[in-house]
Amino acid sequence: MASVRRKTGESLLIRYLILGTWALFCLMPVIWFLSIGLRSRVEIITPQPIYFPIFSLEAWWMIWEDWPMAKYLLNSVGAIFGSVVIDLILAIPAAYSLSRYNYRFREDIGFYILSTRMMAPAIVAIPIFFLFKNMGLLDSIWALMLIYAAINLSIVTWIIRSYMMDIPKELEDAARTDGASDMRILWEIITPAILPGIITAAVIAMIFAINEFLFTLLIASTPKGYTMSVALANFTGGSDGVIYNAIALVSFLAFVPVFIVVVLTQKHLSRGLTMGAVKG
Amino acid sequence: MARIQLKNIQKRWGHIYGVRDVNIDIADEEFLVLLGPSGCGKTTTMRMIAGLEDPSEGEILMDGEYMNDVDSRDRDVAMVFQGYALYPNMSIYENIRFPLRMRGVPKEEHDKLVREAADMVEMGDYLDRKPSALSGGQRQRAALARAVVRQPQVFLMDEPLSNLDAKLRQAMRIQIKHLQRQLKITSVYVTHDQIEALTLADRIVIMESGNIQQVGTPDEIYSDPANAFVAGFIGSPPMNLVEGVVKNNTFTSEGISIPKLDVNFDGPVKLGIRPEDCLVMNGGKKKAHLQGDVYAVEPTGDITYLTIRISGQNFEVKADRDYRAEPGKKETVLFDTDRLYFFDVKSGERIRS
Repeated sequence: MASVRRKTGESLLIRYLILGTWALFCLMPVIWFLSIGLRSRVEIITPQPIYFPIFSLEAWWMIWEDWPMAKYLLNSVGAIFGSVVIDLILAIPAAYSLSRYNYRFREDIGFYILSTRMMAPAIVAIPIFFLFKNMGLLDSIWALMLIYAAINLSIVTWIIRSYMMDIPKELEDAARTDGASDMRILWEIITPAILPGIITAAVIAMIFAINEFLFTLLIASTPKGYTMSVALANFTGGSDGVIYNAIALVSFLAFVPVFIVVVLTQKHLSRGLTMGAVKG
Repeated sequence: MARIQLKNIQKRWGHIYGVRDVNIDIADEEFLVLLGPSGCGKTTTMRMIAGLEDPSEGEILMDGEYMNDVDSRDRDVAMVFQGYALYPNMSIYENIRFPLRMRGVPKEEHDKLVREAADMVEMGDYLDRKPSALSGGQRQRAALARAVVRQPQVFLMDEPLSNLDAKLRQAMRIQIKHLQRQLKITSVYVTHDQIEALTLADRIVIMESGNIQQVGTPDEIYSDPANAFVAGFIGSPPMNLVEGVVKNNTFTSEGISIPKLDVNFDGPVKLGIRPEDCLVMNGGKKKAHLQGDVYAVEPTGDITYLTIRISGQNFEVKADRDYRAEPGKKETVLFDTDRLYFFDVKSGERIRS
């Protein structure tokens, strides 16, 4: 052998140094948010640089005591969770149909579903407002659930469909000759086999939903229906001016649930995102 | 148990025929092999028996009962696939149990039946494993167990061994044959491997471009081919086919001359002779039928393959295992004249005299 490279302590150190720098770079906004959120208002608006910050829980107490933040958080989590459930219940059978059954205009229907995503949301804002007003669903978490589900349904359907198309047809043929009905095949064979794809789609839908602002603002006119993203807007106006530390802290709080979900599903997520790439 | 009849089966997609005029009568307990090159319609024919594909025309009968409009899951067939098609999220135990659950077999019997089926293919020790933790051979055995667990009326196998290596393939072939004889289930087996077809089959159906070329026992297919396609497809190496002319009971073509033939026709024909029906004369010219240059010699241990180049094509001969020659050497070959075949040049149909 010409040359054998061994892992030395030195090369390992360099490797960790590079990865550590990269991790720090990615985490910087989060750390920055947290550092702003945990300092007093006076300290963060001072023009002089501060080398030794004094941490305070001023903003923390403010958002919980002066604002119904717990309610907002609950609204966010409830609406998002509900919307993802609705999406999966509708998208899995739809994706199955689009990936497996042969019928006229199948490809067109698939495209129409995706095209709903191409529309600027503002175009449908007013009709949607009246639609929900007439249904008496304004200012309600159920309305948010439906809106988020509708917004994300197309993308969730498409992600799941692409995973289903990777499932070998033989698997279904085997189940069919074994005596399984279409529904049994879908729930017992296909769905477990594409679980990473379903989780990927659900996480993506969740991230989109938590960031949704326009429709939430439209539907939720009182704190009863506010979510975290709309609550943030409350800190930018009014007699108190822009409350930077509260904004930073609420943003951090909105980030935490997503972060937890991603960490919990990481194994499936990375498999899901790379599945199409490594399979021959 | 079941007899399967295919009557005038056609399968087409638009104007393209996948299967054309297929008529097969498969007897109860018979082991039938559909053999042909890829794209010949053999898998499509099997899938129509399974109910996974609908014929465009024709009838499929099982024990005389019209089956065309019966759903796949209501036909009592079990199928083994080339890619094993084990359910990846289930253990081997659950995989084998799946057809029992789907067909409403009483729960108390499941465990006994699953274990029996697994033991039949020596998979009893692997029931807790997931398919991904098994080798190819073990996966295919698990797939076999899943197919036999509910004792189906018909057993369908679609190239079940083609993903396995040669040694494993032979072992599995023996196991499949044993299993079929033991269970006495009518079986249809699709393959492009003639060795599998010849060793397993009671009868072989040879297909090409959607048409049946010949139906017969392995012996008939080998010794009495119906046309040049079958002759050229079966045998390893396959039959040599040489175009030439018969005149006054003598066949001649470049490098070949066979006098005193017992034939009652004249004109251009295609001659067929199997490599194993040739005798190498080591250059002796007396009585030899073929004369040409050695192109290649391939010793394999038990036999030596000799290739002679005549009229721009390879002519294969099975020689004695000690036979050796350098390329370019003049060689002569004697044919077993009782085992010559003649085919029509255009249609490829056999000419019998």
